[in-house]
Amino acid sequence: MAAYQPRAPRGDRPLAVLGISDVIVIEAEPAVPVTMHRVSAWGRWVREVAIPDGTGAAIARLSQRYEIVWASEWGHNAHTAFADALGLPAEPWAFLPVQFDKARRIRGYAGDLPWLWIDGDVVDLHRPEAADTGLIVRVDPARGLVGVDLDAVDEAMAKLAR
Amino acid sequence: MDTGTAYGLRQGAPLYELAQVGPGTPYGEVLRRYWQPIAKVEDATTRPISVRVLGEELILFRTRKGAPGLLHPRCIHRGASLFFGGVEDDGIRCCYHGWVFDTEGHCLEQPCEPELGLHRDRVRQPWYPVEEQYGLIWTYMGPPDRKPALPRYDTFEDLADDELLIANDEGVGGGGPALLDFNWLQHWENVMDPFHVPILHARFSGNQFTPEMALIPEVSYEYTPAGVRSIQMRELGDGRQLRRVTEVMFPNLRVVASPKLASGQTNMIGWVVPMDDTSFRIFTIARDSDRDFLAKLRSTHEGRPWKDLDDLDHQRLPGDYEAQKSQGDISLHSEDHLTTTDQGVAMVRRMMAKQARLVASGGDPAGVVFDEADALVRIEGGNYFEGAPEAPLLAEAVED
Repeated sequence: MAAYQPRAPRGDRPLAVLGISDVIVIEAEPAVPVTMHRVSAWGRWVREVAIPDGTGAAIARLSQRYEIVWASEWGHNAHTAFADALGLPAEPWAFLPVQFDKARRIRGYAGDLPWLWIDGDVVDLHRPEAADTGLIVRVDPARGLVGVDLDAVDEAMAKLAR
Repeated sequence: MDTGTAYGLRQGAPLYELAQVGPGTPYGEVLRRYWQPIAKVEDATTRPISVRVLGEELILFRTRKGAPGLLHPRCIHRGASLFFGGVEDDGIRCCYHGWVFDTEGHCLEQPCEPELGLHRDRVRQPWYPVEEQYGLIWTYMGPPDRKPALPRYDTFEDLADDELLIANDEGVGGGGPALLDFNWLQHWENVMDPFHVPILHARFSGNQFTPEMALIPEVSYEYTPAGVRSIQMRELGDGRQLRRVTEVMFPNLRVVASPKLASGQTNMIGWVVPMDDTSFRIFTIARDSDRDFLAKLRSTHEGRPWKDLDDLDHQRLPGDYEAQKSQGDISLHSEDHLTTTDQGVAMVRRMMAKQARLVASGGDPAGVVFDEADALVRIEGGNYFEGAPEAPLLAEAVED
């Protein structure tokens, strides 16, 4: 109980677990159109970040089929900091406050639910463990989430569920 | 039923990939891609000394002709330590059978062997290149084919007539002893944690800084080509704003301007140099007209220096050393609950992971340059008063 206990998944659909850096925010030289956004965490700090155009739409598409969970060093700021830039719902999605080697935490959180984890490879200090109940998708850090073929992801997740 | 008790608590683990510094460790290999300060120039004399850097024991000496040398201690002949060697005009002579090595490890003489060693040019004492600059001795411990140019820093160039450079290895900024006895990362990442200042250094330590520094700032963070920067804005309530710029530059520089709040670019920067995984030194260089500038900058606790505090004082007036040392010999990073105000720390760790990955894949890490023409580094850190620059500070104070 010493560690943060995230809100339990709803359980009615697979999980789509998203990192922030490299996924939502592009730190590399972008290979897609981006817009600069000034994001803030309750006014404590601000950052100017590059978000690829279409990221909000990609997340909205994912949220139709999956329960979105943030897994990043942005912690509880993930949802609030990006809500305006991405058009997120007012009620924050659950979050896992983890920066590196996230697979174990994600698997533990998902339990028996199928899960999808989209992230950059910088977070892997070690090679991620085999994903028996989930799908790990590594993004191109110059494109982020908008560079991911979500149709192919849906297909892979459908196979996983069978 | 009680919940959340400590019963059955399982401990977390350090982020060894970022914290460890030895040869072959991910971040140890990053650190080895840059020049590191290891001693003050006056520490290299004709009496050899042992220095521990990045987990390696080395012998530092200066030949009688004045050239500094840094050699692996174990003589390649049969292993006696060169710590007991005798320094001569061109090198150091092993105490056991008299083999002589120059500052680049060339064997100059094997006195017991025929013709002073028929094959002495076929052996080499392991060595590292050294340079002297800004009053410090610097070494490069990485792959020879990736040796960068030794950086210079604009804040230390073009001194005025009354200015001098001050080199210090006494732990300026560490808030404790000269040799800091815990993992270096706990100190380095603290540089990107401006939110601890009004708590630790004002609420707990008791006015270690100026009243301006006790105000909770509005912070913006950004990655730079060479590290991470925080810009802290404080409304001073008298029409002025204090814009304080703090940086970490890779792999281990701390760019922290004096909280005495002299306006302008910082006049000092420091290198957080690991001796090994659980100890480090801070080498600081400053430019000032007062030779004792850095000594005077050291923090006091109710007017007393750290070394004069007793156990009760340490508990009652904790500072950086007490906070960071108490995180553990190597902090259990996996137990951290990084939250809103830890954004800077998270950014440092992320950029460290990127550099480790880059180096492991054969690339060059952030900020290294190979052309002397590009070796001058621009330092942005400092205290910049905006609004009404003539207004006096609220108070003068010193801190660590």
